[in-house]
Amino acid sequence: MKLGVVRAYMLKEIKEMLRSKMIVLVYLLPTMIVILFGYGIRLEVTHARTVILDHDQSRLSRDLIGHFRHSKYFDTRVMNITEQQALHRIKQAKTEILIIIPEGFEKRLIQGVGTEIGVFVDGAFPIRGETMANYVEGVIFDAARRLMPPKEAKLITLDNRNLFNQAMRDENAIVPGLIGLILLVAPAILSALLIVKEKEEGTIFNFYSSPIKKSEFLLAKLFPAFVLHSVNIFLLFLWATWLFEVPFRGSFTLYWFASEIYVLISLGVGLLVSIITSTQIVATVLTIIITIIPGFLYSGMLMPISAMSAESVIEAHIYPVMYFNHIVYDTFLVGQGLASPKNQLYLAILLAYAVGLILLGSFLMKKELR
Amino acid sequence: MSAPLLDVQNVTVRYKETVGIRDASLRAGEGEILGFIGADGAGKSSLMHAIAGVIRFEGMIRFRDRTFRSPRQAEALKPAIGLMPQGIGLVLYRNLTVAEHLDFFAEIRNLKQDAAFRAYRQKLLEMAGLARFTDRAAGHLSGGMMQKLSLICTLLHRPKLLLLDEPTTGVDPLSRLELWEILQQIRREEGTTALISTAYMQEAARMDRLLLFDGGRIIAQGRAEELTRSVRDYCYEPTDCPESRCIRTLDTTYSLEPLPAPKKEPGLEALFFVEAIRRGKIPPAIEVSPRESAEPIPPVVMEARGLTKRFGDFIADDHIDMRLAGGEILGLLGANGAGKTTFIKMLLGLYPIDEGELTLLGRPIRSAADRRELKARIGYVSQHFALYKDMTVLENLRYFASIHRIPQARARERIRRYAEELGFAPYLHALPGDLPLGINQRFSLAAALLHEPVVLFLDEPTSGVDAIARAQFWQLLQKLKERWGIAILITTHYMSEAEYCDRVVLLKQGKKIADDTVENLHRRFPEAKSFEEIFLRFYKEDG
Amino acid sequence: MMRTFLSLVNKEILGFLRAWGLVAVVLYAFTLDIYIAGKGIELQAKNVSVGYVDESGGVVSLKILERLHAPQFKPPVRFLSQKELDRALRNREIMVGLLFDNDFSRDYERSGHARLNVLLDATAAAQSFQALQYLQHILLDFSEIHFPVGLKIHKLFNPNATTSWFMSLAELLSMMTLLGVILTAAVFVREKENGTWDMMLLMPVDPRLIILAKSFSQVLILSLGIVIATGLILFGAFDVPIHGSIWAFFLLSFFYAFTSAGIGLFVAAVSRSMMEVAQLAIFIMMPLIFLSGAWTPIHAMAPWLQKLSLISPLRYYIEGSESIFFRGTAWGDLWPYFAGVIGLGALVYLYGFRRIGRLF
Repeated sequence: MKLGVVRAYMLKEIKEMLRSKMIVLVYLLPTMIVILFGYGIRLEVTHARTVILDHDQSRLSRDLIGHFRHSKYFDTRVMNITEQQALHRIKQAKTEILIIIPEGFEKRLIQGVGTEIGVFVDGAFPIRGETMANYVEGVIFDAARRLMPPKEAKLITLDNRNLFNQAMRDENAIVPGLIGLILLVAPAILSALLIVKEKEEGTIFNFYSSPIKKSEFLLAKLFPAFVLHSVNIFLLFLWATWLFEVPFRGSFTLYWFASEIYVLISLGVGLLVSIITSTQIVATVLTIIITIIPGFLYSGMLMPISAMSAESVIEAHIYPVMYFNHIVYDTFLVGQGLASPKNQLYLAILLAYAVGLILLGSFLMKKELR
Repeated sequence: MSAPLLDVQNVTVRYKETVGIRDASLRAGEGEILGFIGADGAGKSSLMHAIAGVIRFEGMIRFRDRTFRSPRQAEALKPAIGLMPQGIGLVLYRNLTVAEHLDFFAEIRNLKQDAAFRAYRQKLLEMAGLARFTDRAAGHLSGGMMQKLSLICTLLHRPKLLLLDEPTTGVDPLSRLELWEILQQIRREEGTTALISTAYMQEAARMDRLLLFDGGRIIAQGRAEELTRSVRDYCYEPTDCPESRCIRTLDTTYSLEPLPAPKKEPGLEALFFVEAIRRGKIPPAIEVSPRESAEPIPPVVMEARGLTKRFGDFIADDHIDMRLAGGEILGLLGANGAGKTTFIKMLLGLYPIDEGELTLLGRPIRSAADRRELKARIGYVSQHFALYKDMTVLENLRYFASIHRIPQARARERIRRYAEELGFAPYLHALPGDLPLGINQRFSLAAALLHEPVVLFLDEPTSGVDAIARAQFWQLLQKLKERWGIAILITTHYMSEAEYCDRVVLLKQGKKIADDTVENLHRRFPEAKSFEEIFLRFYKEDG
Repeated sequence: MMRTFLSLVNKEILGFLRAWGLVAVVLYAFTLDIYIAGKGIELQAKNVSVGYVDESGGVVSLKILERLHAPQFKPPVRFLSQKELDRALRNREIMVGLLFDNDFSRDYERSGHARLNVLLDATAAAQSFQALQYLQHILLDFSEIHFPVGLKIHKLFNPNATTSWFMSLAELLSMMTLLGVILTAAVFVREKENGTWDMMLLMPVDPRLIILAKSFSQVLILSLGIVIATGLILFGAFDVPIHGSIWAFFLLSFFYAFTSAGIGLFVAAVSRSMMEVAQLAIFIMMPLIFLSGAWTPIHAMAPWLQKLSLISPLRYYIEGSESIFFRGTAWGDLWPYFAGVIGLGALVYLYGFRRIGRLF
């Protein structure tokens, strides 16, 4: 391998990237994704728009309403409209929760006769609907328990400790996973484009007809992409910890090292894409399709791997993103680092993926026209 | 001839569905220049790619003392080989400057950059006339300059075997001459063997030996004189002859059977025509029926006074006066970047006019509204335009007919007639991308003629088109002029085609430097053997 | 006039159908992609993996564990020490860890009060929170307390909380945006790339008619896509219920298609190659989709983002479509969505129209 040749080729790549503004894509895209998704994906529910119809107007009913008023989960309004009108408001998407306190609520409670509160929840956005229903239930049972004489209550209370993410912030749960998504998608697009661009424009002949070795060509293409995206490793770290205030409890060196290997995997994916495609637009679309789905669905970001069905678990083990995300979540939230054998194993698997993909790519790539 | 340096034996290149070249063999000695001639898709490029070791092939190639049968085995020879593939500026990076290209090509070939190299590099730059432009990005060079840059990048490592695939297609005569001079000098100094394909027969005539390609085979080889001599008996002055056994062009009639007409000294083009007759692939004669519309053709179709176009500091067209009369074929000639295309685009309204007055069909043009109605009376064919690739020829023509609001019955009738007269009836249901360039250009013309325009603007319609198709194209233009009496403005890089024009205008660096009939120009330069020489004279004259 | 318009439209449709790669991508987007999105993304906590350490040695713990079953929970796994449980949590092999300590059974038998320690892996915040809710439910049930207050919860529109209904609809609407922009931009940029742009300019046709016909042809393709996706995937594969009028949905989609075509016109006006179209489209669409409530309900966003989302036409389209499908909103109550889509759509389309018109 002649390093002078590689250096010259790399210099050319970097000049072209700077002059064609491709560099904007390299740095703007990851940041945009992390900001949009980081702010965009919210699974917790706050400020659910709640309407209460108080047909009882008693001390107890007002007491119950007070419980809702004081919760950050609800934006509560007591309205004086008919049930029909209130349901209509849900249809118009003006209201999400409707709670109806029946007439004689207080009286029946005091008499010890059962009474029933009606709750209507907008279930159009399922996880939100489910969560809202749970909240309402929680508030009402909480209020009811306080009314009950203590000795009657035979109860197991839950003493829960939320590990790794005490406040159960969505940011902490989502943003580290986004790093695994972005570092899979973006370097792959770049490396595929760098190679396919020469194919589409015809300059690939300079490689075919000159004595440049395949290894030199690949190094010249992949190394700049590697270096440029290595910067993103730090940039994304910065956004996560500074903008989204995700705690970082593990070893930065491990995060860095694992991310660099992971970028290599992504470059390998891009290399494979560049072998089977010949236009930039197809290469872009193909790379996005084959990286985003595993990056989202089989990464453990939105759904923990342990909660997947058996076949999904197998699929998740095929894509490298799961192994990387495990390490990233560990470094951000858990902090075991390399002390955990699982992290060691996963790091080794990532390394094998990186080496395997790049070797496969360089093997399949031919220095000739097709 | 010295001992063969290059020995190619029975090379076949296969693609997924077709065969590029079959069973080709050739030999070349040190310092020899071999010319590849033949139509589009005849197998010239496939053979070059095989010899350059960039594509898989069957057969054997030996260069010096090394033999290879696959691209992998050719690796060892690549330091000695230089390939310039087909396509203007194909191997250049648009964003990199001229100097950066030279550095890049030197470094990726790991050349030692000593004083001798720097001197050689400077010499190449000067030979190519690029020494002043080292800081200009390749994307901003004219076509001719791009090709010269590509050539010197290919020469930088002093290859012993040079493969140039149509380096001069779409390049103006002056740049062609300069490219050729660079080549001759390199050959003298370095003893380089070169294989060059070309569409220009004058250029082909200067090669040491020629290989004639047709349908994926080499069908003849020899020196230019030998080859032309072999067909000398079949070329006559224009004369009538039975259509099924001969081909008539504007200046020659080709026939295998003796004709009662004076013989004519053939050019290399004759090879293609004679070969076509031998294979029974005689193109149908071109016919044009009179136009249906009764609209009279005005005596002056276009009049430009002081037309000027600027792009920033650069003046593309500098106060150009021009007049186009009805029933006239006017040739607009000039080097790449002289302002021909810009001028036509101003006439069409594709570029706004910065200065000057334009009168089209008797109507002064001041705004876009002035043009709208005129659009229906103008036809335009550009070098890039080959119809919509995703519609069949018929669908394309129907589309243009309805855009021009030609009643359906009449449109059907016209399309049928053109298809017969222009000889593309068999291709009506094919997609343009699957057909040769020459036939594509005929549909483009048919599409431009559907609405029976009064004036035709043609921008390099024959670039890259093979000799037979070009001859037919010109016959068609001649017929249109005779039968329809319409005016035609055409640009071309084939100087032999200028001879068919009634009048030519020469542009140089945005200025008009000549405007006269071809005969008058020949009278002015009596010693010039061809119009190409006259053109070069003009261009070289004042700096 | 009409004939010219129709042949312009016809030309674009033919061009689209001949580009089989494009047809394949569009078909994929309107069918398989929506299917995968509906099938794949399950945000509900299901199959939660539980581990426990039981030091209480009693039957109570076993009785509680019996109640953790499918579909919410996987069968609980027993760990021998708290350390092991901890390790499994840290390696995220389990999401919930239950600790029945020494006193658990005794306390429960004696006083009826006992504390169950729960360790939650909160790296998946939403699911762990839901899991906690499930547990609470089970324990309440187990305790057999008779509250004097009954609760009757009606989950309207989607009683079983089927995620696929929502996700497939949201994905379909996002795809409408994506394809509307890219297809429309491609129609123009392809002419630039193939060198037929000049030819288009030279046609004796009002440029406005050309732009209108070209964008209309893509609107037609999108409309067909919507019908296919609704029939095949929404109704066919996922049995999504529709409580409102399907015609209202199709009409809203038709107007929205013009909006996304308008963005496409703008993208086409400023880009020279398909590559630029792809890049620009990504940069424009991501914020648009993000601001629309497709991924996250608008009311869960920061207040300033909620205000900003008012200018995303996709927001009205998505809310309107949800209302039509799930809430069964009547025609009369749909006017805000129609007004939003048509109003913003007209603005966007006219702007795109003028931008591209400048090139003529």
